[in-house]
Amino acid sequence: MSRIIACYKWVADEADLKINPDMSVDLSKAKGKISDYDKNAIEAAVQMAKITGDEAVTLTYGSKKAKLSLKDALSRGPAEGFWVNSEKAEQADGAASSKALAAAINKIGDYQLIICAEGASDTFARQVGPSVAARLGIPCVSSAIKLEFCENEVKVSRKLENGIEIVAAQLPAVVCILPEINRPPIPGLKAVLDAGKKPTREYKIEELGLVESDLSARTETIEFKAYVMNRKNIVLDGETAADQVKALVGSLKKEGII
Amino acid sequence: MGEENQFDAIVVGAGPAGLACSYLLAKAGKAVLVIERGDAPGAKNVTGGRIYSYALNLLDKDLVDDVAWERKVSHEEIMIINGKRSITMDYHDPSLTEGDESTQSYTILRAVFDQWMADKAEEMGAMVVCGIRVDDMIQREGKVVGVIAGEDEMYAEIVIAADGVNSLMAQKAGLIPDIKKETVGVGVKEVIDLPAKTIEERFKLSQNEGSARMILGCTQGIHGGGFLYTNRESISLGCVFMPQEIVQHGIQIHDIFQELKMHPAIYRLIQDGETVEYSAHLVSEAGFQGMPARLYKEGLLLVGDSAGLVINTGYSIRGMDLALLSGIAAARAILGETDLSQIGPAYLAELEKICLLPTMRLSVGYNQLLEIPRIYSNYPQLAIGVMQRLYQVDGQIPQNFKKQVMEAINESGLTVWQMLKDGLKGVRSI
Ligand SMILES: Cc1cc2nc3c(=O)[nH]c(=O)nc-3n(C[C@H](O)[C@H](O)[C@H](O)COP(=O)(O)OP(=O)(O)OC[C@H]3O[C@@H](n4cnc5c(N)ncnc54)[C@H](O)[C@@H]3O)c2cc1C
Repeated sequence: MSRIIACYKWVADEADLKINPDMSVDLSKAKGKISDYDKNAIEAAVQMAKITGDEAVTLTYGSKKAKLSLKDALSRGPAEGFWVNSEKAEQADGAASSKALAAAINKIGDYQLIICAEGASDTFARQVGPSVAARLGIPCVSSAIKLEFCENEVKVSRKLENGIEIVAAQLPAVVCILPEINRPPIPGLKAVLDAGKKPTREYKIEELGLVESDLSARTETIEFKAYVMNRKNIVLDGETAADQVKALVGSLKKEGII
Repeated sequence: MGEENQFDAIVVGAGPAGLACSYLLAKAGKAVLVIERGDAPGAKNVTGGRIYSYALNLLDKDLVDDVAWERKVSHEEIMIINGKRSITMDYHDPSLTEGDESTQSYTILRAVFDQWMADKAEEMGAMVVCGIRVDDMIQREGKVVGVIAGEDEMYAEIVIAADGVNSLMAQKAGLIPDIKKETVGVGVKEVIDLPAKTIEERFKLSQNEGSARMILGCTQGIHGGGFLYTNRESISLGCVFMPQEIVQHGIQIHDIFQELKMHPAIYRLIQDGETVEYSAHLVSEAGFQGMPARLYKEGLLLVGDSAGLVINTGYSIRGMDLALLSGIAAARAILGETDLSQIGPAYLAELEKICLLPTMRLSVGYNQLLEIPRIYSNYPQLAIGVMQRLYQVDGQIPQNFKKQVMEAINESGLTVWQMLKDGLKGVRSI
């Protein structure tokens, strides 16, 4: 039995963001949550493990705040939760996160499949999955909406702009999934209680053979500002309902929405 | 059944009642499971904003130093509104912010306070599970033996219904009928952010000091009133109404509340603030008469709002301190009584001992008083009318005071006879 590892990020809940009058964003009151699409990644890992008989586990790279995430992650079904604990994670970019995750994946060992979300709900930079694959020297398939195992391969349906591409990749591999892949259920009472009894493992970066400077970000966030979407305030008129609908459809077409 | 599905106690609802009970049970080494439907304790809970410290002191003296409070109330205010005019009475006792921790009161925000209490209960070993709604309870041979949440069943020697007003648990156990509309009010509330300094200037507070204000005459004549509490960096402003009167009068709650916010004497207090939270909740209004006839069933105790333990005197609302007391009483009964079938009666005895039931009985009078409809329109108008005449100097020959008062009485639509009757009723009831 080998492992299917779902990676997730503990992000600030956007519902708690406060926008200051100068458009700067106040994160100080924001609670943490598992990035939305990462819940799909965890669910995908749990589903696959059921089919293949492997063990689904989760992995996160985060500061001490991310400790709260372990129980939440495990209540979604995986057997064990791994956490790379470093304050450096607060300033991480894709390069830094993928380094920490790849090192942890090597340490965990015996993996078949790594599942990431296409992007995190805070930055959506879409870097981590591909970078982890590159660091591990294994294939990476993105935009996945369906996974199937056959022998030593994973068959992935990829959602493209105008169609679906089916790709096979040699295992072990990294797959980046889109939220369409599944609908993660809300964990029930027993699942939450069980989560408290499941094993968790915390890694310090030294245990992974890394030093602080290895995890420095390669990009720097200079500013983080709110964006105001102005309403267009278009009023459509038309005598009959049919006219009004026609005007609406025309307007939406003009805007390139449909 | 299996070991892992069995607890000593299951507490439904992580509000002050449930958490007080869990805290004490866990402290005594019991295996306690608290199930809360909100994503976090207090996430969706609504209160005006003031809790009395004596109840926390009773829960555990060590907790009092550490309470997640906003400000200590040293200004007790009553405000009467009529039209654009208003009277505000401010009773200030600076000693209320220092010294004896057991006779103070604090303004609080529930999202912070409930989380703090849950953390304390967890430190004692209680298991608090959030984001799970209890749907039903498991009953065998007339006894409650567990709860059902989604597809999962959990068992316990005792279930504590701490699920608040209109308790689903109490309904399922047949202890209360479906909601009775005469006994519950609807509360709406906004939390308005303002810098601490602005709040201290506007309310004339020193650091840490807070004010608690009840507002009469702001409900367009219907049974209800407003409240305002100062938090560290925000103001809690709200109103409570009787829903059936709202319907009868064809008024929108939102409109009354908006008018209150725009009242000149209120607006200058909240000006430039940002509303960061809007909420609505039911509040039990009937005092002792609104309590269920039975507060327990074998295997089940009702605590806090689920037992109707709220006292509204018109000048203060007490629900959270009573919730804490009932949680304490429940824990004492469970820990003190080994015969499971006797926990219910033991709980009642503890409620008497902790002075909760006697206090509830006294509330009967207040409720009679508050049923006088004139309190919400005519009397505020009278008070304002008298003030207006008292302070108006216009160079004309002043009328004698008695005449002015009579004029104000006539204007308010009251009669002396009516006032005497109400006065008598008032004196008798409290
Ligand atoms: C507008 C307003 C102003 C008030 N002002 C004050 C005041 O200033 N001072 C004061 O002392 N009191 C005040 N009260 C009353 C006070 O808020 C309540 O009496 C008090 O909160 C009761 O505590 P409780 O623990 O019994 O219930 P609650 O605080 O209501 O807690 C019940 C908990 O149970 C959870 N729950 C409910 N059903 C389920 C379920 N099926 N499964 C799982 N969980 C469930 C809820 O999410 C909630 O967390 C006010 C009330 C209102 C509405």
